[in-house]
Amino acid sequence: MIQHFPVLAVMLLFLGAFCVEIFGSNNAGIRNTIAMLAATIALVLIYALIKPVMIDGEIISYWMGNWAPVSGYAIGIGYEVDALSLFFALLVVTTFWLSGVYSMSYMAKDHHLGHYYTLYLMLSGSVLGLVMTGDIFNMFVMIEIMTFASVALTAFRNENEGTLEAGFKYLVIGSMGSSFTLTGIALIYGQCHTLNMAQISAQLCTGMTPTTIMAFALIVAGFGVKSYIVPFHTPAADAYMVAPTSVSMIFSGMVNKAGVYGMIRVLYIIFRAMDKSSVQMLVVIFGAVTMFIGVTMALAQHDFKRLLAFHSISQIGYVITAIGLGTALGITGGLFHAMNHTLFKGLLFLTAGAVLYATGTTNLDKLGGLSKKMPKTCICFLIGAFSISGLPPFNGFVSKWLVYQATYTKAVETGNFVYAIVTVVALIVSVMTLASFIKVTQAVFFGQLPAELKKTQEVPASMLVPMYLMSALCVLCGIFYPIVNKYLLHPATEATLNVTNYIDKMMGDGYAAMMGAQNIEVAPVQFSYWNPIVWLILFVIIFVAAFLVITGSKSSRGQVLNPGVKYDPKYATFFSGEEELFSQVGGSDLFWGFKTDWKGYYKVLEGLHSGIVTDYAGWTVMATAIITVCMFIFMR
Amino acid sequence: MIILRSLFYILIFPGALFTACFGLFLAGVDRKVVARMQHRIGPPLRQPMYDFFKLLGKETIIPHAANKIAFLGAPIIGFVSLALIMLFIPVGGLTAFSGNADMIVILYLITIPGVALIVGGSSSGSPYAGIGISREMVTMMAYELPFVLVLLAVARKAGGSELAFSMEQVANWQAANGNMLFQWSMIPAAIAMLLVVPAEVGTQPFDVAEAETEICEGPLIEYSGSALGMFKLNSAMKMFVMSGLFVSLFLGGIRTGFVVCDVIVFILLCIVVTILCMSTIHAVTARLKIEHLFKFYWTFVAGMALCSLILVWCGL
Repeated sequence: MIQHFPVLAVMLLFLGAFCVEIFGSNNAGIRNTIAMLAATIALVLIYALIKPVMIDGEIISYWMGNWAPVSGYAIGIGYEVDALSLFFALLVVTTFWLSGVYSMSYMAKDHHLGHYYTLYLMLSGSVLGLVMTGDIFNMFVMIEIMTFASVALTAFRNENEGTLEAGFKYLVIGSMGSSFTLTGIALIYGQCHTLNMAQISAQLCTGMTPTTIMAFALIVAGFGVKSYIVPFHTPAADAYMVAPTSVSMIFSGMVNKAGVYGMIRVLYIIFRAMDKSSVQMLVVIFGAVTMFIGVTMALAQHDFKRLLAFHSISQIGYVITAIGLGTALGITGGLFHAMNHTLFKGLLFLTAGAVLYATGTTNLDKLGGLSKKMPKTCICFLIGAFSISGLPPFNGFVSKWLVYQATYTKAVETGNFVYAIVTVVALIVSVMTLASFIKVTQAVFFGQLPAELKKTQEVPASMLVPMYLMSALCVLCGIFYPIVNKYLLHPATEATLNVTNYIDKMMGDGYAAMMGAQNIEVAPVQFSYWNPIVWLILFVIIFVAAFLVITGSKSSRGQVLNPGVKYDPKYATFFSGEEELFSQVGGSDLFWGFKTDWKGYYKVLEGLHSGIVTDYAGWTVMATAIITVCMFIFMR
Repeated sequence: MIILRSLFYILIFPGALFTACFGLFLAGVDRKVVARMQHRIGPPLRQPMYDFFKLLGKETIIPHAANKIAFLGAPIIGFVSLALIMLFIPVGGLTAFSGNADMIVILYLITIPGVALIVGGSSSGSPYAGIGISREMVTMMAYELPFVLVLLAVARKAGGSELAFSMEQVANWQAANGNMLFQWSMIPAAIAMLLVVPAEVGTQPFDVAEAETEICEGPLIEYSGSALGMFKLNSAMKMFVMSGLFVSLFLGGIRTGFVVCDVIVFILLCIVVTILCMSTIHAVTARLKIEHLFKFYWTFVAGMALCSLILVWCGL
């Protein structure tokens, strides 16, 4: 019974997509019911797999049409859900379900919602299929559906400025990524005569040929495009900014993660390249560059959602760095950070969406003082901002702590100074992340309320509930990290490092041993920096102290100076910045002390982010060429 | 039992009460020494304590534009996190909580008082506070790089070939091999740390965020009464926490064999560090501009710390 769940979940989502288009394009009730029904059933089906896969350690396999392997060759399409797949599948279902709930009121004012929900279900189904399939060509098909649904959703509000441009960029770069992957898959099929990932993995135990190295490099580059590591990151910023916010959340929460999943699957399981220190170094350097460029670009942004987009890139840099280390600690940290990124970045995108919904803009220079008008959104935003900045006790702190520890342990173990530098970069990036979220806090929620926003109101409950859920998860994952580790991270890490079970489940017992694959015992990662009891005491103390001070202190409200006088920006305090004349502490220039010192660096970055698709395509090809050359040197 | 012990650690020693009292005392020492250096008599040592209790009795006015929870909650969060940092710093060989990689915990907890100041100041809605928080954040970015490098260098030195991000290990290493400060490869890191301390505490010349003469105390401009008192207490506690961190990182090897004596030695060293890197520099310099501060920390101070890290990495 249970082995049907994965494929049923994917099928239901695709079926829902068609049903929405057929029955619901004119009727909002039917449309919403079908979409939410499909999403909810998929959610339940995937959550039902936690017990067998994560706790009992089973691997669920399913052959479509019961086409089991014939004389040692996999000929059918297989689904195979191990702990790694399920870990990402859980992120995927959680993200699209919450996004669906949020869409109900967020998208209500848009037109052509039938198309929106069709594409939404297609995207959800394809990413879910991607992380659970055991067949590499099926994976490619899912990547294609994912890319094209993403392109269409990016350009969904095509009456707005910049949407079509963003969609076009996404289309060009995304298709290049898919083509790399397809070429790689074709090469690997030519070499191994099979498309089943378990079987390819087993066959490659005997060693790599030049063809398989080429295939490896191309597939890694292809997934690099999907996870937006740095030379490939260019379409992400535009797409996240102009897409409806519920879709931006899906992009950063699961489309990004699909790329990360693909990287892990390819690097660790199919090609098992991560025992080579040079490959580790390559991946780590890509990750470190990604996190640094992402965050410095974010510091220079003027738009709330665009800023979040660059932070998505930067946080994926952490994940890639951590998984590139090739140690159990690194993988645990990377997976945990991927999960936390889904939670806090989803939350931040939802708050950005709430601000857009309530005020009609995400321009940091035009917002301000919303904390009094939207107090609930403000609290959710602060939780998300502190989580992504890695302040204790939120979840980002624990995963970043693991990442630092993993990189520095690696540095000490290998004696390689580069890893120590990477640790420093990771720590500095974290402070810069904090800085850029302070900027958003000041520019959007605190500071002065502009006259145009006096009538702003809090968003409806169906938008607040997903935000509350994600805020709660951010705090809970930060405090109860041992539980998360035991039930989610440790099984997934073990599945990443142990290929034998994955191969045997698909191809029959003993197949892996016959081909020469071996298992490694993975000791669970110990978290020992803090005692949960201390946390509890602390929370009680903070709560009591804050309660006493806020309710009991002798306080009164200040008066408004000259309440009758009309606001005139000419007499407001001048802060800085020549572009927005007379702007009240606008978001754009908050860190000019920092930006003056980095003028040269920002000039270079601005030149590189030219906005011209040809340039971006050029980078993509160049980076792929670099990866290919490196792989040929390293893997021989 | 463990709950009671944790409560004692958090609330009394070395947590909230001890840190608060001794922090206010250190602030008094600082004021007195600066005054003597400027040929003034200066206030009594207990003056910061009087100031604190006086502020507690005053009315707190919440500005019209402010968000009440953030405005009043920020100083509390800052206070709690400062009290917590002391639990991780070995006070004369005594560590309340120790664990794997607690240096990173310290690194992050130390940013929280700054963040609390920023959130509080920002929520008041004043443009002066806006400038102040911008400067506070840039200062934070400035000193964080050398700070990280110093911590990594110390961790590497104390850990040798195995990983040590733990303060306890640093303390044990120093007990066995003598003070970190007397290792010649660590001297640049110690100088860098001596410069990080005043920037973190925000004393002159690194008080750009609270520059009274230009932006009227920046983030604190709208604060009054007990909330202002809490922020003043926080900055006094920061003085103690940061000088204590310096002492435990670089001078943690002085052991007399008696815990009480060790604690007294620790306290005396904290006073010395405060006078050395806060009072003296305060008395002889004028305030920097923010971009100069940033450049100074990312070139000179970070360069020194990096020097140490490389030397340590080469096994020296």
